[in-house]
Amino acid sequence: MSDYGHDLLFGAFLTPTAERPHQAVDLAVVADRAGLDLATFQDHPYQPRFHDTWTLLSYAAARTERIHLSGNVLNLPLRPPAVLARSHASLDLLSGGRIELGLGAGGFWDAIEAMGVRRLSPGESVAALEEGIEVIREIWAADKAGPVRVDGQHYRVHGAKRGPAPAHDIRIWVGAYKPRMLRLAGRAADGILPSLAYLPGGADDLAALNEHVDAGAVAAGRDPRAVRRLLNVSGRFAPTGTSFLDGPAEQWAEDLAGLALEHGVSAFILATDDAATIERYAAEVAPATRELVAAERSARS
Amino acid sequence: MNVRFGVLLTPGIEAPEAVVELARTAEALGYDLVMVPDRPYEPGLLDAWTLLSWVAARTERIRLAPGVLELPLRDPAALARAAAGLDLLSAGRLELALGAGSAWDAIEAMGARRLGADQAVAALGEAIDIVRGVLDAGEPRPLRHLGEHYRIPQVQRGPLPAHRIPVWVGGHEPELLRLAGREAGGWVATLAELPPDGFAAAGKLVDEAAREAGREPAEVRRIVVVGPDADPSALRTLAAEERVDTFVISTDDAAVLRRFAADLRDLPAAVPVVVRPASVRAKRRAGIDYDSVPPSLADTAVEPGDLEYARVRSTYLRGGAPGLVLRPRTVAEVVDALAFVRAHPHLPFGVRSGGHGISGRSTNDGGIVLSVAALNSVEVLDRDRRLVRVGPGARWTDVAAALLPYGWALSSGDYGGVGVGGLATAGGVGWLAREHGLTIDHLRAVEMVLADGSVVRASERENAELFWGVRGAGGNFGVVTSFEFQVDEVGDVGFAQLVVGADDPAELLVRWGAAIEASPRDVSGQLIMGRPRPGRPHVAQLMAVVDAREPETIIERLRPLASVGPLYDQNVVLIPYAGVMANAADGYHQGQGEPVSRSGLIEHLTPEVARAAADLLAGGAVHWFQIRTVGGAVSDVPPDATAYAHRSANFSLVVMGSVERRLDAAWAGMAGHVEGLYLNFETGTGPDKVAAAFPPATLARLRELKRRYDPGTLFRDNFTVDPQEETR
Ligand SMILES: Cc1cc2nc3c(=O)[nH]c(=O)nc-3n(C[C@H](O)[C@H](O)[C@H](O)COP(=O)(O)OP(=O)(O)OC[C@H]3O[C@@H](n4cnc5c(N)ncnc54)[C@H](O)[C@@H]3O)c2cc1C
Repeated sequence: MSDYGHDLLFGAFLTPTAERPHQAVDLAVVADRAGLDLATFQDHPYQPRFHDTWTLLSYAAARTERIHLSGNVLNLPLRPPAVLARSHASLDLLSGGRIELGLGAGGFWDAIEAMGVRRLSPGESVAALEEGIEVIREIWAADKAGPVRVDGQHYRVHGAKRGPAPAHDIRIWVGAYKPRMLRLAGRAADGILPSLAYLPGGADDLAALNEHVDAGAVAAGRDPRAVRRLLNVSGRFAPTGTSFLDGPAEQWAEDLAGLALEHGVSAFILATDDAATIERYAAEVAPATRELVAAERSARS
Repeated sequence: MNVRFGVLLTPGIEAPEAVVELARTAEALGYDLVMVPDRPYEPGLLDAWTLLSWVAARTERIRLAPGVLELPLRDPAALARAAAGLDLLSAGRLELALGAGSAWDAIEAMGARRLGADQAVAALGEAIDIVRGVLDAGEPRPLRHLGEHYRIPQVQRGPLPAHRIPVWVGGHEPELLRLAGREAGGWVATLAELPPDGFAAAGKLVDEAAREAGREPAEVRRIVVVGPDADPSALRTLAAEERVDTFVISTDDAAVLRRFAADLRDLPAAVPVVVRPASVRAKRRAGIDYDSVPPSLADTAVEPGDLEYARVRSTYLRGGAPGLVLRPRTVAEVVDALAFVRAHPHLPFGVRSGGHGISGRSTNDGGIVLSVAALNSVEVLDRDRRLVRVGPGARWTDVAAALLPYGWALSSGDYGGVGVGGLATAGGVGWLAREHGLTIDHLRAVEMVLADGSVVRASERENAELFWGVRGAGGNFGVVTSFEFQVDEVGDVGFAQLVVGADDPAELLVRWGAAIEASPRDVSGQLIMGRPRPGRPHVAQLMAVVDAREPETIIERLRPLASVGPLYDQNVVLIPYAGVMANAADGYHQGQGEPVSRSGLIEHLTPEVARAAADLLAGGAVHWFQIRTVGGAVSDVPPDATAYAHRSANFSLVVMGSVERRLDAAWAGMAGHVEGLYLNFETGTGPDKVAAAFPPATLARLRELKRRYDPGTLFRDNFTVDPQEETR
């Protein structure tokens, strides 16, 4: 049983469909007004039915006021890290500190390769991601002396100027499932962002995920609490409860509070493109979950 | 045409909001374009693409361009997708300016490979091909580019941007100027970086390269960046003598923007910018006088070489390759469009609203299409009388959604994507037909443009005979530009989808027909059946709408329907009528080939009719078989009240096949069992079908109307009523 004590975040995981160009933007606005903490968009640059995620995210940031936004998760092989760092810093400055960086090592290699990028082995892509994170953090470190110098296998940045510094401490959340990637997240990232649907054993797998992240953090001399555990979930509101996140809002709150207290998950990002569901999630599920978790945490301490 | 003005901002990181505010000021001052420099290696500046996206969300009219993008630090395929997305989000306001790379030390420090000047231009040339290739989403094959500098095994094209994004090239190197002349839609020059007489010399290089490539020099726009202290008279000279059509003032000072706007407003451009380059004109079709498209329509017209062609060439069911699609936005523009069509009497000519016509005549091969999709408003005229005015280009899902807040609905059809124009000129067999009649039965008036270009209103009181003809044969007499309907109060409805066994299809048809004919009028429905396949249970899909709010009533109404055969599956929901109609697909039409269907109206599903229908289905020539209910309120209307005359039928049958000859052979078995047809479910458009759709007395009246309103048969492609032929 692990609970890292983070405050809880609730978000929406939106499909960046290009066929209705404003759908995802409008839903981000709904999420913003409803009071969710995060609006996130998947990133598949090889998929022409989707918007370019960064363009969409920038546009949506300009249309919202309060909510934080991030890729879920951005495809590093198709987005050079130095440019990624500067564009995130820029948008963070424009939005008054509302941008986070969800980052992935790239999943669909056939499609990535077809766009002209060299295919990496799983081991290589972990290494590339680690170097990418280093480049990004170095660029953001505007006050450090001397130019950026990262001499990696995959990314070589020699003498680039530092900056701009973002408006706030942008969190780097990594889409991670396998031990090596999880340990890297423990060493170098601010969070992991897997999807529950991709865990073969369901929520039970979270314990193992946490172990790897914690081990990575400890080995690097970090406190495991420095790494937030985020999770993409999907569900359905129904009058009577049948299974996990399939039932009334009160049951959702029980389900999510269970994950928070049992596995330390502290950000629940709901995959949906339905405005009413977003509103209900924000109005009913988020406060009830927070209440349950707060009550249990104070009982424990 | 006037010279355009733009502003080039310096987006410092210290005051991001001020940069955005300046872009908004430029927009308010009437500037045409805002550019932001792209220097990804310069930490003091905001990232150009991010800022452009942000500015797009905070402005409404002004065009947006990077000035210019440092290509070595961008992946061209990814850039193209991002460009398409930004163009879609900004409703077609993006212009793309690309550079070969300038600050090579900084570029290299960011991790990109250094290129020599000529190599960099060659790479830019490849990148332009890739960008254009990805944007060309109408091209079905994926893009493959195996070049010297970029190697892309195969990338999917798309998304299709909102407009043909111009691709400009920025710089002054001779090789780059030649590339601009050969390939680009514009050349971006920075006056301060050229020697005093350098502009003319550079421009000459661009023009020469254009001519060598078989282009007109005017195809390459000239965009010039000038400093805040530029002398207005010098700019006038550049516009007059050097064909500069866009000046971009580099400033971060609103006062400078105001001054330029005042000094140079309405400066005429020396030559009209060529909107369609030679490569586009090369795809024009014979017999169309493209150069005399009325000016009001020139901007929105689409021809085969245009990027947007993919969006408009085909309809829902039929593939097409029209030579020109005119897209009027106002009634006056419809008048202009018809004048142009009158000058082309020998070409195919289709009128399109929602593009769902089963006969597919709203597209063609090599002809003209007049699309009124842009006339798509839905407005309430009179709350007490529930009178609404709807544009022909609205889709029925939009109409239903707009009426929902009032607690109203207008029965149309079963599919939300269908357009108002085609359906409301022919009939409209919808989910509430038995209770509330056909869509045309709710029509109180239309406004239409006649063949001679006159705009008329038709109702029971004005042009009453025309109003009669519009309700059933509207496409023959003009282009309807608005419909006034009286709609009904309709709340939530029960929507049922049932699957029943159909081992004996004839028996099922008889039982379903009897059950639904015996139902109260608040029930309308349909039956869909596939061809029986050996070894698989044969089933039919039954759908019904029950206009009742109480679950008990709905269940009571559905019970007889659910027991016409063994019930395999059922799904019943209580939803607003607009919810039933919220089933329209996204995206543009990509129909292919020729649809083939036959329509027949049926009085009762007697055992004989059902036997014939079951044989038709078993024969294998039919892949779609659907019966909708009419009758009820539809039959209350006297046959001579509207041009849609077969009022006594209780059922409307449509079958679709793949091969017309086979389908006709199979359909022959229905002779004697059907009485007339419904135009909108029929793909045969010849005189025999027209005669089947309209009984002799009706047809005689329609001929008289055609003689009066369209004697030259301008409207000739879809179920044409021949003005001359005498009625048998
Ligand atoms: C999936 C699907 C489901 C359907 N379901 C139903 C149904 O349940 N009930 C029903 O009644 N019909 C139904 N239809 C048929 C439908 O009524 C016709 O296809 C109708 O013509 C479509 O209208 P549109 O504006 O989308 O078509 P278009 O293809 O744009 O137009 C079809 C024809 O209508 C004429 N026309 C179009 N606009 C105008 C105008 N402004 N002025 C004058 N003439 C014009 C032209 O002759 C044109 O060729 C369905 C069709 C499809 C494809």
